[in-house]
Amino acid sequence: MDETRRYRTAECDRFELELDAYMDGEVRPSVPGHLRECVFCKVVFEDLTALRTAARELPLEEPSPVVWANIRAQLSAEGAFAEKGGVWSWFWQLDFLRRPVPVSAFACMLALGCWLTAPQNNPQTKTTASLPTSAGEPTVVRSMVFLAGGEGLEKAVRELEKAFKAREATLAPDVKATYENSLSSLDASIRECNDSLQREPGNSLAHEYLFAAYSQKAEVLSSALEIDEGR
Amino acid sequence: MADRQQQKTIKTTAMPFALGIFLCSLALPGIVLAAEGNRIEKTFEVAPNPRVTLSNTRGQILVRGWDKQQVHIVYSVISPRVEVDSDVIPASGPADKVHFSTHILDPLVSGKDQTADYSLDVPMGTDLEIRDTLGSVKIDKLQGDDATVETVGGSIVVSDFTGHLFVRSIGGNIDVIRAAGRVEAYSITGDLHFVSPTTSKLRATTTSGRILFEGDFPDGGDYSLSEYSGDMDIICPPSASFELNAKTDRGKLENEMPITIRHQPATPLSSANSLFGTHLSGKATVNLKSFSGTIRIRQR
Amino acid sequence: MSQQKTAAPKAASETQLVARAQRGDEEAFTALFEMHKRRVYSLCLRMTGNTAEAEDLTQEAFLQLFRKISTFRGESAFSTWLHRLAVNVVLMHLRKKGLQQVSLDEVDTSQDEPVKRDYGDNDRRLMGSVDRISLTRAIAELPPGYRTVFVLHDVEGYEHNEIAEIMKCSVGNSKSQLHKARMKLRDWLRQNEGPMTPGEPVTSDQAPTER
Repeated sequence: MDETRRYRTAECDRFELELDAYMDGEVRPSVPGHLRECVFCKVVFEDLTALRTAARELPLEEPSPVVWANIRAQLSAEGAFAEKGGVWSWFWQLDFLRRPVPVSAFACMLALGCWLTAPQNNPQTKTTASLPTSAGEPTVVRSMVFLAGGEGLEKAVRELEKAFKAREATLAPDVKATYENSLSSLDASIRECNDSLQREPGNSLAHEYLFAAYSQKAEVLSSALEIDEGR
Repeated sequence: MADRQQQKTIKTTAMPFALGIFLCSLALPGIVLAAEGNRIEKTFEVAPNPRVTLSNTRGQILVRGWDKQQVHIVYSVISPRVEVDSDVIPASGPADKVHFSTHILDPLVSGKDQTADYSLDVPMGTDLEIRDTLGSVKIDKLQGDDATVETVGGSIVVSDFTGHLFVRSIGGNIDVIRAAGRVEAYSITGDLHFVSPTTSKLRATTTSGRILFEGDFPDGGDYSLSEYSGDMDIICPPSASFELNAKTDRGKLENEMPITIRHQPATPLSSANSLFGTHLSGKATVNLKSFSGTIRIRQR
Repeated sequence: MSQQKTAAPKAASETQLVARAQRGDEEAFTALFEMHKRRVYSLCLRMTGNTAEAEDLTQEAFLQLFRKISTFRGESAFSTWLHRLAVNVVLMHLRKKGLQQVSLDEVDTSQDEPVKRDYGDNDRRLMGSVDRISLTRAIAELPPGYRTVFVLHDVEGYEHNEIAEIMKCSVGNSKSQLHKARMKLRDWLRQNEGPMTPGEPVTSDQAPTER
């Protein structure tokens, strides 16, 4: 191999034209030969191979939870979701609906029997959530956030609130006051949205704001827990 | 007798006063020296598009763009138990990343004694990240790549910035003046104020703060402003060309611009005030949302 | 930031989930989103180089998907359908932004910058491994057209004929753009990673071509 040759040759030009096809698995007889002769093109080949390997191995990234929150709110506003709860919801999920007619007939009879015996499942009274306020005294309200698909988010906020209560004594008074004001503001919006949804379960704007308020509350609480005040 | 009483009075009041002045005059050089001693200035050579981060607890931060390929910092602290660290990567040669952070060395240092004030000059294309818990942040004349500014209670003022700007404050007010590029601004209780943006995209949300937007909507721009209970005022010139989607649940919607009403969406909002339409040829898109605050659209 | 926990249906195959989503089952929507969100978001992120835009486009892709889900007939795999939809959403967005570089017409050389050919620079090889963070940054630095082809081919695994169909260009053009993208990335990584051997001078000889 001629390592002293530092000039690009016509073979190098041809090599470069055929390199990508060679890397994609196509037969290019001149490429391996040139790689044996030209150390500089060999460097290029090794670099591009490393690059392609790294590109294939790039890990997947995670979007923030706000993405789903927005999608969910928009679809909900558009009426994309079938009505939750109700006695027929479990029925429609059963696979045997795809089987032949005789089985379907049996399914109808089974569904009727279940309807007669199953407990009432009214979404309006499905959950009675305990919603602690930022003052630390739980207020028992009917949380409508489940309508927005956010039961998990509400639970997460509760856990964060507990952690915040444990942490807040260590915060500087002015920092603590800022957090408490903001949490109070968010709690007020949660209460109002809950009230709206009690009266109008289909109020998409209230859905959106309720979900956003919980998300923002989670962010504010997380921020308070992460703060290190330079120590 | 009265004279002697008076003289005694003068002596008893004037003497401590004079003594105090004398002592202060002795201390003054020390104070000045201490102030100068607590003021540090450094300059770092940086590579193109460096990343500069700063983390602070209290104090003012001022960042300006300049035309040198250097990061220049001047900082001062009040307490000797407050230290500023700087990290540079790589350790030699032009830096790709420069990081500054304030450390409170003594847990007994609290309140204003934690203050560290910063002034930074950074080159064009800087990727900037600033966190100041209770202090205010000002950014001026920066053509950056990405800039992220977060405070808990401090105000944020950004003027003449170009790039992707992300600003968030829990309780502080946010002012963005003449920004170009893309802006996202979020606060819970703080007010948001935008003046003459030329951004392609602007997203702004506050829960109980107020939103004030003064300026035009550039062609093709996508502007979304949302607040929960605060009021929103949009003041734009008669030449502004935009498609408007405005809605509020319990608040009022007041509009002075001549809007051509468009067909309402298929799922009408229940008990909401809304306005969907275009002004002139509708080149920009403006989405305004409020739950219980008032939305006012006025002509400049 | 807390993660929204979703009650994913147990052992539900994708086919079942799609069928349920077509009937408006919210849990099925949620599960499908959870299954595919990272791939879609990563695609959007790498094609735009911007997290906020990537999130918007991810949102848009899934909204379009769920709105059209009743039209899915199973002729292709659901993930393929979703992926192609996401690519189209991103390309539409880039075109709307007025980035003409997305067009890969043969005669369009507006985004072409001279690709350095440092044939005298043996010291600055990538040494067989590429740092993930540097590569991500380097991809974001590419002009949009190069970035699109590189992401679709080398990251996402599309073939050139598929890219040509998506980008409305010729296969030859797709191959040419990919090569240029790879060389640009190589150059950027070499410049920004610095010399691999400490103390080695960083040179960039532009060697003349010998005929």
